[in-house]
Amino acid sequence: MNSMLSSLGFGIVTASILLPAAVGFTLQFSATGVLNIAFGAQMTFAAYIAFICTQAGMSIWLALVLGAVFGAVFSALLNRFLLARFAKRGTTFFGMVVVTIALALLIEYLVEIIWGTMSVNYQMTGTGVVHLGAMSFTHSQLVVMAIGLGIAVATHSLLKYTRIGKAIRAVASNTDLARSSGVPAQRITDIAWLISGLMGGAAGVMLGISLSSVSYTMGDTFLIEIIAAAVLGGVGQVYGAMLGALAIGVLLEESAIVLGGAYAPISAFAVLILVLLVRPTGIMAGAAEAKGIA
Amino acid sequence: MAYYLLTLAVYVVVGVIACWGLNLQFGDTGVLNFAYILFVAAGAYTASILSLGHPNSSSYQHYFWGAHMPWPIPWLAAAVVGGLLGLLVGLLVLRRLRGDYQAMVLLVVSIMGSYIVSADPGFLNGGVGLALIPQPFKGVLHLSQVGYEVFYLALALLAAAVVFEVVRRIHISPLGRVLRAVRENEAAAAAVGHNVAAVKLLVMVIGGAIAALAGAIEVQFIAAWAPAGWDYTETFGLFAAVIVGGRGNLGGVALGALLVQGLFLEGTVLLPNIGNPALIGAIQWMSLGALILIFLYFRPQGVLPERRRTYSSDITTRRNRMAALPAALTRRSARG
Repeated sequence: MNSMLSSLGFGIVTASILLPAAVGFTLQFSATGVLNIAFGAQMTFAAYIAFICTQAGMSIWLALVLGAVFGAVFSALLNRFLLARFAKRGTTFFGMVVVTIALALLIEYLVEIIWGTMSVNYQMTGTGVVHLGAMSFTHSQLVVMAIGLGIAVATHSLLKYTRIGKAIRAVASNTDLARSSGVPAQRITDIAWLISGLMGGAAGVMLGISLSSVSYTMGDTFLIEIIAAAVLGGVGQVYGAMLGALAIGVLLEESAIVLGGAYAPISAFAVLILVLLVRPTGIMAGAAEAKGIA
Repeated sequence: MAYYLLTLAVYVVVGVIACWGLNLQFGDTGVLNFAYILFVAAGAYTASILSLGHPNSSSYQHYFWGAHMPWPIPWLAAAVVGGLLGLLVGLLVLRRLRGDYQAMVLLVVSIMGSYIVSADPGFLNGGVGLALIPQPFKGVLHLSQVGYEVFYLALALLAAAVVFEVVRRIHISPLGRVLRAVRENEAAAAAVGHNVAAVKLLVMVIGGAIAALAGAIEVQFIAAWAPAGWDYTETFGLFAAVIVGGRGNLGGVALGALLVQGLFLEGTVLLPNIGNPALIGAIQWMSLGALILIFLYFRPQGVLPERRRTYSSDITTRRNRMAALPAALTRRSARG
């Protein structure tokens, strides 16, 4: 029982990293209808940018901010200069998936060429441990959790209470209607990619901090968990992605205790497939269907 | 050199067979099977355990069951297992899920497959994989190494001919027309009375069997098989071949497999050795990504595009009548 509780702690840490990633992934989908397979590779790239920053003597938290900003700019540029152009040429939904796959290969192996196949570590100081009942967290894990929670709250307030958030939701639910109502759809799409890139970048660095190592396949491996969280929540559903992140994060760590580490991902994905058999469009089904993307 | 070229030829034939199966799913029907390499792997493992013989507890490799079967049986059994796996995965994924969810879940299924095999060392020797898989008629024929390669290439070409005939017949048959209808517009295909889920399930089974056959041919040639060799990114290499060659065109797909699988992924071995092998691998994958992007941007239909089909004359006359319609309408309104 004690080990179950302590792994719940790990699960919450994993969920805090999964949350910004899954929200970013799903936001790109709802704003532009692109399932971005390159999302994991973009995370990895941002994590390495943060690594350069720590090498230059910056603190890890400043590096996290810079990594996230890099992720945001990179993501917006990718959308503007690559994906939007493909969309303009009439590339189909599945065509776009293949485009992002190609992009993922390009980014991942570019990272490998620059930084090599050996993993690198962030230089971190001050790794005190805080005990909360059976759960114990390092200081950096606590900060990671706080950032995850902060991003959840920030996303909620952005989408709910700001004009930009309202515009993003409008574009997500019906792009043509939003455009004819005077919403500058292209700029809003750019902003959505900027925000999702910011979240992806932050998640990449947070993953590096939590694993205490960064490797070129890191984001790619994590992508499956992101997809699981996003699909579980209902693709394109921001709040669903948050719930999905929590569920997948806790499930991964709990099943590692119950079944052993090697079987943890299998059980998490098996749960995903079982849930989808009962609810084929995720636990927060609704708006994505109205959009009629498939 | 002859030995090397023959090896490359077998790889290309395997790639062509695998790409034809993928084209049936992706090119003809529009099913985005991101778990395709899983079916190749299933075929490879089936052919392996059916030729390795009973597992020996003192051996360094462990697998749950095995037998020592003569040649065509491992290949045929592989195709059957691939088809059954297609049925299973198809029933699980294709029936209720929307297209984009299907693609994502298939990707997850592919990775689950490799986790399952890696997690249990007693199942199919875990992450280390199976090795020393016997080659068909190797002990009986007493051929030189090159001679045996020629023989194996002939076997592979025989299988390729059978697969070609199967996919060609499906392609030109009324069924092929239904597949393309599902690809172009699922709702319309369903509206005219086709069972879209059943059609997709059918191509999962047939495509799965073809993929598994390709895996069986490959594994009995290279004599080893491990999870690292069927990483989910391998599926994307096959997709690249189909896109570059021309989805929906069997000749185009074969050309794509020759270009991407042959020259591109294997042919770089012929290049002079620059730097470390990891760098060459990275450059290969990056060029593969660039190649896909360039083709999807400038020539999304591929090198040899799908042929535009024209059907019997009654459709043309109907089209002419439709074209005449607006003119007739304006005439009428002018009169009225």
